[in-house]
Amino acid sequence: MPRLRSSLARTAVVAGAAGAVALTGAGSASAETEVAEPATFTSAYTAMATPDMVINNDGVATPGQPGATGSFMYRINSDLEVICYDITLTGVTPPYQSPAKTATHIHQGAAGEAGPPRIALPDPEDDGSGKLVSSGCLQGPFTTGVLANGADTGTGFTLAQIEADPSAFFTDSHTSAFAAGAVRGQLTQVPVGGVETGAGGTADTGSSTAPLAALGGTAALAGAAAVALRRRAGRA
Amino acid sequence: MRSGRVSLLAGCLALALSGCGGPAADPSSGPRGAGSPAASPSAPMPGPAPLAVPGPAPLTVPGPAAVVDPADVPAPVSVAIPAIGVVSALPELGVAPDGTAEVPVDFDLAGWFSGGGRPGSRGPTVLLGHVDSTAGPAVFYALRELVPGNVVEVTVADGSTARYAVTGAEQFAKDEFPTAAVFGATTDDVIRLVTCTGAFDRGARSYVDNLVVTAERLA
Repeated sequence: MPRLRSSLARTAVVAGAAGAVALTGAGSASAETEVAEPATFTSAYTAMATPDMVINNDGVATPGQPGATGSFMYRINSDLEVICYDITLTGVTPPYQSPAKTATHIHQGAAGEAGPPRIALPDPEDDGSGKLVSSGCLQGPFTTGVLANGADTGTGFTLAQIEADPSAFFTDSHTSAFAAGAVRGQLTQVPVGGVETGAGGTADTGSSTAPLAALGGTAALAGAAAVALRRRAGRA
Repeated sequence: MRSGRVSLLAGCLALALSGCGGPAADPSSGPRGAGSPAASPSAPMPGPAPLAVPGPAPLTVPGPAAVVDPADVPAPVSVAIPAIGVVSALPELGVAPDGTAEVPVDFDLAGWFSGGGRPGSRGPTVLLGHVDSTAGPAVFYALRELVPGNVVEVTVADGSTARYAVTGAEQFAKDEFPTAAVFGATTDDVIRLVTCTGAFDRGARSYVDNLVVTAERLA
């Protein structure tokens, strides 16, 4: 299955992380696993990550890569402890660098503050157009490979904590040139799933493939949706 | 997937019951505006299959050197789409307790997702409106008639008006709604207009698809 091939490539870092956790002696034998997208989600969050929001571990503002931006979308099913991610970085120059098992994280911390990573996500890869993208779904429990007081910083973390206070979490990607973060953004909630905007049946177009009045032009969402659509196409 | 759709429809059913009036009106008597022609449906419609169009970047106004936070610009208060005769205030919409989108209570008004972007800030600015109610066509009934170049005007709280031009429209099954593509943060100052379309599930009193029209900021 195409998705399995690409997901194996993307999760090479995560799979390797299990070994990394063992090497660091974090103690926990369980780490996140890549899973298929669940049928429903309990919440969704986006973040507009920019270089001006980066704070280093000492709490000092440390601007990231000039001109870079990151668009992060997270869809969570907190009943299944699954998080699906769609990440696009623009203007971020690899290589990545982080003491965690990947360099792309969700941290727990308010705006303007530092905070420990809670989830390590596969680092985005060049999609051929110069943008770095990654998408997939992970099921907890989550480990980051970073120790604090002898325990992995993912210990005790659950996705329900994001749902309880999303603005207390931020997401970022770290590179060698910008080790504190190339871009960073706080999470903000967006609606998940389809929108219920119609109840009368008078606008029935008969089928999902009914043509629209001649719109032509580029499908504006095609580029952004391509990653999500590719994943859906490969889903069993 | 079926259970997923049922969970999405729970809110719709409650809204339908609260908003319903008489039987559905004749669609031709709806608020279609003065003689806006319906173009022939000749454009191919991307169906459920992946679009996989890497294509050139859309013709957008270049993003600002610094990304503007939505909180730093005025909120939208009304929208006008002259080509289809839409004029509407924009009550704020949020996220329902089940994580799905709040939708307008008044079927004659569109609404603005207040947790997203605003004209002049990073996008997207998302406006939601019903296509119809059991009493007949609603505010976004004619959204699917829009063609590229049609202007969308959004007035914001300081009285100024931001103008956008439609660049395209796409139809998505609600069961496979591309949350990242529609609500994902973007540096572009774009508007997305969302309503229902597709086949109508009479048992659930809900459409199976969403229609998303994208419009990009005019300089």
